[in-house]
Amino acid sequence: MEHRLLADVVSKLGKFPILSPKLTDAALSLITNPFTSDETLTSLLETLVAHLQNPDINHAILFSLLSALSNHHPRLRRRISAAAHAFVLLPTTATPTLPHALSLIEPAEPTPFDPFSDESMFLSLCFWQCVKTRRWTLRNVSKFHVRPSVFLTVLLGLTKDPYPYIREAALDGLVMLSNGGIVVDDRSLIECCYFRSVELLFDAENSVRCSAVRAVSAWGQLLVALSPDKTKADWSDALFVQLCLMVRDREMEIRVAAFSALGNIRTVSEDILMLTLAKKALSGTNEKTFPGQYTAKLFKLPATAAVFIFVNGLEDEFYQVRKSACHAVKKMTVLSAKFAGEVVYILMQILNEDSVVVRLQALQTLHHMAMHDHLKVEESHLDMFFGALVDGNALIRSAARKTIQLTKFQKLAMFRSCIDVLIKNLELCPQDEADVFYALYKIGRSHGKFVTKIIHEVSQELEPSPYGKLGFTKVRTIALLVLAISAPVSLERQISTIRPEIYSYAVTLLGRLTRGLGGLTDQNALLDYLSHCSRFTVGSTSESFGEVLDFHLKDSYFQLQKRSETTCVEIVFQKIVDLWPLIQLGCMNEVIRTLRSWKEELQFFSLDSRPPAGVLVFALKYLHVIKLLGKAWACYFSKRNLHFNGIGILEALLCKTERRLKEMLHRFTGLSRGVEMHILELMLVTYTLRLPYGGGTIFFEDYTSKVNSVFCRVENLGKEESTQPFPFLIDLQNISHEIGNSRDGFIHKPELLQKSLNLFSLKQIVVSEKLDYLDAEIDVFDNDFQNPLPFISGLPVGIPFDITLHNISLGTRLWLAITDGEKSTQFVFLDLHEFGGCNEIRKSAFVAPFFRTPKVKHFVLKVSVVMECLSEGQHSKHLNGPKQNFIYLSNGKEIHLSTAEK
Amino acid sequence: MAIECLVLGAGQDVGKSCVIVKINGKSIMFDCGIHTGYQDHRRYPDFSLISANSGDFTDSLSCIIITHFHLDHIGALPYFTQVCGYNGPIYMTYPTKALAPIMLEDYRKLIFEGREEEKQFSSEDIAECMKKVTAVDLKQTIQVDKDLQIRAYYAGHVIGAAMFYAKVGDSAMVYTGDYNMTADRHLGAAQIDRLQLDLVITESTYATSYRDSKYVREREFLKVVHNCVAGGGKVLIPTFALGRAQELCMILDDYWEKTNLKVPIYFSADSFSGLTLQANMYYKILINWTSQKVKDTYTTRNPFDFKNVCSFDRSLIHAPGPCVLFATPAMISGFSLDVFKLWAPDERNLVTLTGYCGSGTIGRKLMVAKPPTRITLDDNVQLDVRCQIYQLSFSPHTDAKGIMDLVKFLSPKHVILVHGEKPKMVKLKEIIESELEIPCYHPANHETLHIPSTRRIEASASDAFLQSCLCPNFKFLKTDPRQDSELDDDSNNKRKMPQLQVCENRVAQGLLITLQKNQSRKVVTENELIDTIGTEIHEEKFAYCCPIYFPNSESRDISSFHLILFGKLSREFPDLNIQDCEDVIRIQSFVGSFCSKAKCPYRTDVSFQSVLDTVHFCCAWSMGDEELAWRVISTMKNLKLSDRIET
Repeated sequence: MEHRLLADVVSKLGKFPILSPKLTDAALSLITNPFTSDETLTSLLETLVAHLQNPDINHAILFSLLSALSNHHPRLRRRISAAAHAFVLLPTTATPTLPHALSLIEPAEPTPFDPFSDESMFLSLCFWQCVKTRRWTLRNVSKFHVRPSVFLTVLLGLTKDPYPYIREAALDGLVMLSNGGIVVDDRSLIECCYFRSVELLFDAENSVRCSAVRAVSAWGQLLVALSPDKTKADWSDALFVQLCLMVRDREMEIRVAAFSALGNIRTVSEDILMLTLAKKALSGTNEKTFPGQYTAKLFKLPATAAVFIFVNGLEDEFYQVRKSACHAVKKMTVLSAKFAGEVVYILMQILNEDSVVVRLQALQTLHHMAMHDHLKVEESHLDMFFGALVDGNALIRSAARKTIQLTKFQKLAMFRSCIDVLIKNLELCPQDEADVFYALYKIGRSHGKFVTKIIHEVSQELEPSPYGKLGFTKVRTIALLVLAISAPVSLERQISTIRPEIYSYAVTLLGRLTRGLGGLTDQNALLDYLSHCSRFTVGSTSESFGEVLDFHLKDSYFQLQKRSETTCVEIVFQKIVDLWPLIQLGCMNEVIRTLRSWKEELQFFSLDSRPPAGVLVFALKYLHVIKLLGKAWACYFSKRNLHFNGIGILEALLCKTERRLKEMLHRFTGLSRGVEMHILELMLVTYTLRLPYGGGTIFFEDYTSKVNSVFCRVENLGKEESTQPFPFLIDLQNISHEIGNSRDGFIHKPELLQKSLNLFSLKQIVVSEKLDYLDAEIDVFDNDFQNPLPFISGLPVGIPFDITLHNISLGTRLWLAITDGEKSTQFVFLDLHEFGGCNEIRKSAFVAPFFRTPKVKHFVLKVSVVMECLSEGQHSKHLNGPKQNFIYLSNGKEIHLSTAEK
Repeated sequence: MAIECLVLGAGQDVGKSCVIVKINGKSIMFDCGIHTGYQDHRRYPDFSLISANSGDFTDSLSCIIITHFHLDHIGALPYFTQVCGYNGPIYMTYPTKALAPIMLEDYRKLIFEGREEEKQFSSEDIAECMKKVTAVDLKQTIQVDKDLQIRAYYAGHVIGAAMFYAKVGDSAMVYTGDYNMTADRHLGAAQIDRLQLDLVITESTYATSYRDSKYVREREFLKVVHNCVAGGGKVLIPTFALGRAQELCMILDDYWEKTNLKVPIYFSADSFSGLTLQANMYYKILINWTSQKVKDTYTTRNPFDFKNVCSFDRSLIHAPGPCVLFATPAMISGFSLDVFKLWAPDERNLVTLTGYCGSGTIGRKLMVAKPPTRITLDDNVQLDVRCQIYQLSFSPHTDAKGIMDLVKFLSPKHVILVHGEKPKMVKLKEIIESELEIPCYHPANHETLHIPSTRRIEASASDAFLQSCLCPNFKFLKTDPRQDSELDDDSNNKRKMPQLQVCENRVAQGLLITLQKNQSRKVVTENELIDTIGTEIHEEKFAYCCPIYFPNSESRDISSFHLILFGKLSREFPDLNIQDCEDVIRIQSFVGSFCSKAKCPYRTDVSFQSVLDTVHFCCAWSMGDEELAWRVISTMKNLKLSDRIET
């Protein structure tokens, strides 16, 4: 049967090359039948392919057979693809058949001539009279690799097509182009795309309008991005208002698309944002208009188009629109606290919604607001807010708890009802226990005073039964215990007076509590904590809290949060000593994790105090140095036997460490001698680690000079203060003495060095609170790669700087280091007497000349403030620059220059 | 061509909506309502104006379209069909057809019962009238006759309410009826396509008010009701049985559910007809016509199955304790008046007023009253009102923003406002005209408006033209931004058009010609024009015989003169391609040659006699190069001696 059919097809096609329906059916039956043999398929394929060349045959049917073949038998795809490719290249091929052929070509196939890169073919397809061909081309625009300018002009032109589907496809193509990261720097072209899309917002066809919304959003964003800073905000507002107009469309999908587009806008001015919640246009914004289109005929966009849109959207009858609106609100609340304050009421109402997705989105929006500290919960909201906590849906409950954790309640009554609802949640849904505990703990921590009050009131409930049996069967009791646990670590730093017994009751529930607080601590740590709390009244022991608690490394968290920043730093310095054994053992992962968590904790404090206090910066830098040193140490000892492997990494790490240590030495004033000594010691460790692999006598000499200068300083310090020098120092000093006399010194004594290295350990350092951090900020107004400063090549150019100095005393010698690429550095001396202000902060606007402007159109300078290190004996090699070695006080600021246009 | 629009009712007024629109010879009656405020002949629209001569309404009207079942939109229909004798087609949506007879019956009983002499139509009339009605579905296109097409769109407002689109030939219009642009608890927002329209006739009940958010409205209502029942008071909600009642019921039912209130909510069954009994049932059946939100929840529970609402028995009026009662009718008369009389003197009680209250009704009196007060019920009865009065801001009508939104969305060529109060209409008209630049009218009753409408003519197209239409043929135009800024006098006016613009030429490139043979019209391409009209090309040319001063011209050679002229022109116009061939100078279409004729017709010298030392140079050019030609001529005229010496 199979052979007969094949023979039939082949012979008939050979005689009369016409694809009759019967013939097509026969071929199709062969293709679709899974039992057709490979030979048959191959010969059928070859017959079909052979007929491709025939200009009289119906190519559409032929290609539909080939595509069926390609779909059913993927292994034949390459052959079909090759045939299609050959067909495309034929000069006789008619344009209407091209889409069929092109869609069969495998894009991955490497071919010498890629039809998808053929611009003329692309254009002929786009300009073909058949709508179907145009549509296919536009829908498959992503397959073609022609120049973006060709794409753009063709797509833009086809937005004028009388056929709505072509307009729609052209708009989608434009969106794709803008998302594909094509670079268009012609502003007029972008404007054209934007305004053309805006025009199509008023199309009669729904699908075109829908695509137009996306196109307006995409090209609007590009337009905003390309606008100069002055008009950026205006363009952003214009885009916002333009999209607001579409929120009132009668088509649901368009409303959804409009809201999601609104959500993508990054900046909107507050008055426009407030309009979206107002019933009527507010006076002042009434007259404001933007570039854009109001109706099909009116080309002026009044700001009033934004009036009430979010309210309309949030109460839309379609849940898709409400969800989308909620999502847009989420993005907008970040922009304005005032807006957030107004919209919160509607969001709370939405928590009553029937649709789960909308409720969830509303909660996520509230959560987002809370994260940005824009959530102000009022008493009237509570009903709805708490309603979500006892919602039937687990996702909603979980989202509500997440939001509650971040909420700050102003009144005790509000907090109390919140706790009650959480307990109710726990009673109704025991499966939420862990999560509820976590929420209780978190919220308790931020409301320490209220917790203490509540625990006092309910202490009776927490007592065991009169027979002394601890039977905590009621979930309420357990929940209250969790709340009590949170009090001592309260963020309010309130000395709590919760009776210690309560903590001992909590110990009995350790397992359950651990599950809830698992994200914060582990069981042992919790036990330690609880037993500590139950031994002392927290009030009396809070001073010695840190010393008594012997936490697992991870749980320094608990202590840290309790402390002010200074004590927190102290704890870090105290704890860091314990890390050294771990470093020696090579447990770097754990060390790094610990360091990171400490760093986060410290950064948490640095957010509060601006500018960050010197102590904190010092501590952060210290942590960083220890991390680098630890890594280097691990590298040194693990790679010791592997000759020269990993030297690059080690070298880089040690260089970095050295630079950091130098910075610590010079950028802080008020370091105690002990601390300075410790830093010098660390420096020596760095040098010593570096030596054996540095190799060569030159390096050795460098080492000796460096080590000697450090020793010199150590001795000076030692003289001033009669402290016992560290063992490592003494040992190293002895060794250097010993081999200082012999010429080929250290190279023969690696074991000696290693021995002395083993003597090293981290010391607990005490940092005085009056530590000042020398810092500089450098800024050039309104300069970025789009707004370069003009220059004339060969002539000096003046660069206006704004320089801010922190804690710099008059005696300091500061320079501006201006680097042109990697090649050369030019120094400009900064006269501190020209700066206004005092030691704490000095400011000056200052025009520095740059002399060697190169013969290029654009170039970038890197500028930073450097300070000469007067105490260091080494001299710098720079002419017309600092005499001594210097360190950088600021990050390199990039300055863009471009030739002044004639 | 024009659309003729005769307003029979609801012109600068609310009540007896009735508009006759005549488009391209087809007359359509939109709505046929009664005015509930009047008891006399003013109750009905003045139908005699429809066909002043014949009196035969069936011939005069192509069809009647009813937008929804409210009496001010349908009340006069049985009268018009059964008494006036209209026998043509009537269109309304399915729910309207289902609910209309109940409404009409209710009204008939209320007004005509016991007043046989005034009786205008009977139950049988209603039934007969309804038999003539054709029910339509949303977005279903109905071909009323060969030329007239109508289509219904969802309007919100009440269940089954629709906006109607009507098209005759090329003229199209939309009559909105009453509509709501935002969804409420139970009904969706109006939904319509973006159509090409000549006219939109829209209601304008709330032409100047701006509605608050739904959530704010609901919260206020619930707060007032809760406070009243918490204080042991009774709440009377006089309302219409269909529509608001269901919405308020839903809100209260939800709230009762959430707050676990035990105070009874009654839905009064004490009415003349079974309307109230059936109302909730209809809503349950007609779920498809409710809002998307209701439809979404319908899968789990019918939101019209109120858990806390029970039917009311008259004996309960005197029952002690708090309760909430929905009683018909809305403007406080009949049953709701009975209850009101009993409950009004107690200050703990509350009366909520919903929606619109016609003038003269007790509802209207309460709206302006500030308790405690004394209001007159009729000639000799006065009532102490001490209870609280609360005006609900719930309304099934769209607010000013909604009207603007709809008009903006549809962007018709003209707007007519009906169903509203005149001062408000005037304000809205001003806004529509200034903001949207659409001409707007607010005719009074019995006024006729003529509105120009689109008229399209049929024309055949040549093959070449069709071919040119098929392929995209666009080009880009670059405008000069400076020109724009000159046009913009107002610097604050930030109107900005892109410098680069796309234009598509393919459709615009044809020429419409009327063939004289048979007056038929044809669109052809530019190239075909000459062939089609069968004439020759006539070109318009300008000519001027220019005198040039040239000393001793007789003794000189003409060719040297040419050389001089050519040299001069080449220097003056370096950008132009100047050709000098066979004693003729050509610059684009400009052609000039030495003129030896004594009487050249293009010579403007008065004397026609040859002036000494002057030669004539005859120039001709076509219109496009006029400016160039005069520049060349003035250069030639100023030919100086020095030029000659140079050559």
